Amino acid sequence: MFGGSRTFAVVALIASLLGLLFAANSTLDYASHLDRRLHDVHCSFIPGASATAEAEPCRVAMYSPYSALFKESLWGGVPISLFALGAFTFYAAFSLYLLLLAERAPLGAVRFFSLASVIPFLVSALMFAISLLKLGQLCKTCIGIYIASALLLVSGLMGLSSLGNEAAAPRPRTGLVMPLAWLLALGLSSLVPAVVYAASVPDERPFLTQCGELKLAEPKQGELLTLRGARAVQPALMFEDPLCPTCKAFHERLVNEGIFERLDTKLSLFPLDSECNWMLNEPLHPGACIVAKAVLCGGDQARQVLEWAYTEQTELANAGKASAGALKAKIRQRWGDTLARCVDDRKTEVRLNQHLHFASDNSVPVSTPQVYLGKRRLCDEDSDIGLRYTLSQLAPEVLK
Amino acid sequence: MSGLESAGASATAKLAGAVATGIGILSLATVTGLVHSWVRGAGERLVTPEAERPKVAVADQAEVQYCTPRFKEVLERVLHSCGLAADETRRGCKPSDVKTFASISDDDFNELFTPLKDRGGVIQFDEGMDDLDEAGKKLLDDKWFARKGARYFFVVARASKSGTQSKNRALSHRRANSVMFHLKEVANDPELEKKVGLLWLGNEFAQLSKEYCNWQTSRSDQKCDDEAINRSAFVSWVDCRL
Repeated sequence: MFGGSRTFAVVALIASLLGLLFAANSTLDYASHLDRRLHDVHCSFIPGASATAEAEPCRVAMYSPYSALFKESLWGGVPISLFALGAFTFYAAFSLYLLLLAERAPLGAVRFFSLASVIPFLVSALMFAISLLKLGQLCKTCIGIYIASALLLVSGLMGLSSLGNEAAAPRPRTGLVMPLAWLLALGLSSLVPAVVYAASVPDERPFLTQCGELKLAEPKQGELLTLRGARAVQPALMFEDPLCPTCKAFHERLVNEGIFERLDTKLSLFPLDSECNWMLNEPLHPGACIVAKAVLCGGDQARQVLEWAYTEQTELANAGKASAGALKAKIRQRWGDTLARCVDDRKTEVRLNQHLHFASDNSVPVSTPQVYLGKRRLCDEDSDIGLRYTLSQLAPEVLK
Repeated sequence: MSGLESAGASATAKLAGAVATGIGILSLATVTGLVHSWVRGAGERLVTPEAERPKVAVADQAEVQYCTPRFKEVLERVLHSCGLAADETRRGCKPSDVKTFASISDDDFNELFTPLKDRGGVIQFDEGMDDLDEAGKKLLDDKWFARKGARYFFVVARASKSGTQSKNRALSHRRANSVMFHLKEVANDPELEKKVGLLWLGNEFAQLSKEYCNWQTSRSDQKCDDEAINRSAFVSWVDCRL
């Protein structure tokens, strides 16, 4: 029905090697970032394709709380790809065993393999659901692992099917001991890379506080926007640009992980648009000044306007590139005439200018997003891959 | 299956098992070794300073082309000497101060402000008067609220040649104050004093020539001559890091 004993073993071996390759890419990306530098990320369906800067979905997956375990006790956590790496190594070796023996492979071995092939599939199905439902994005490297897992399951089913087709001599039988030993080997194999990784991770604590401080102690009353979370315990200051994709991803992470609700955030709008921001020679995000003004005009609804801007970011960015009028029309359509008039008000321009001067008075880097806990700036790498660890060190109450 | 065949099959199975186990252990060791080397490599890079760390610009006040060293030198001297740069009680500079502190000729002083032609504006007053008319207020508001990245706002008040030196000195002082009082009303800025530099030159230093009538003035629809252009306060943000 599904093929012979060798065929399923060959498929299993290919699936395992494929899974091994994608898991290795993912692990390498994770491990590279432990040096706190900027790195491209592997994000391709093609096994062995080189890392790229255009890898937003893979970055989102990497920074998410679902990509690694123990993120609060280890900088970046222990990536789950390590478990896949070990498991696929086991499956590859076991497939080779089945391939070498073909129809002489013990019955218990084929059954064990078929049953064990379900495990990566179930884990992949869970991660696939999380990617879709929680992250709203699918990373190509992850999809590679999902495909390898599905292929492994298919090979397992083929193996089971091949047992029913056999008219030849009966296969040797194994007792219970061997399947248990294989299960133990699978478990150990899955754990070893993760344990070695966790044991080798460098101590990042000395670097957490090395990214500068604000020059001024506090923003003046009413100078910045206040976005206080429902269960706020920690004052924080953020510099954000409503048309910056990284700000959007960061904000969504904070909200999804429940961190935003624990922060008493002062928001300094920092549009990377030379129309209002003199620190740029040309607009990086055309229209960001207008959207930033809309956020300021939101008043009590400032957070809703900001989150609307993030949700509609692609459309707003395109409108911003087209013309100021097109962008303002979108703002008017969603938020009405009053807010649209406020965007054009000179007072709003002055308020936005104050936000930008707050940035220049504090000599902050010209980049977004930026987070400050008290006066201390979180390093970029500590506000993405190392966020939960950094918070556990500098503001543990946020994670409670 | 004969006993010999069975023994042979069993030996093959054992050999295959041994080969697969060996390869499995070797693969796992290789994979684990790779992971270890990746992490160790990152650890070593972590404590090794980057040779070419990407430079990130730092937010700062604007600095445009006209901010020549000479321009900044004169303005800095004026700022410090007129009590703007520090928390001093003294506010503003009278003509003799400016002459002394700026250490510059009349023409050179005016020449410094030439690049501010588009950024600034000339607010004109009636003869002998120091109150701002509506057009003056509007021009002042327009200029004040177009701050962009500037830190300092300069007000350079003057008086025309008619009248005595002391009278004109006092008149230009009052004109500078009128500008300041209006800014206090509209700006709602507790740090206004740290931003606005007041200079009043009377009729004794750096008089404007008729050419300045071509600048943006509050009375562009009226006749402008050497007298009218000096019954004024020139206002402008200065986009220099002083």
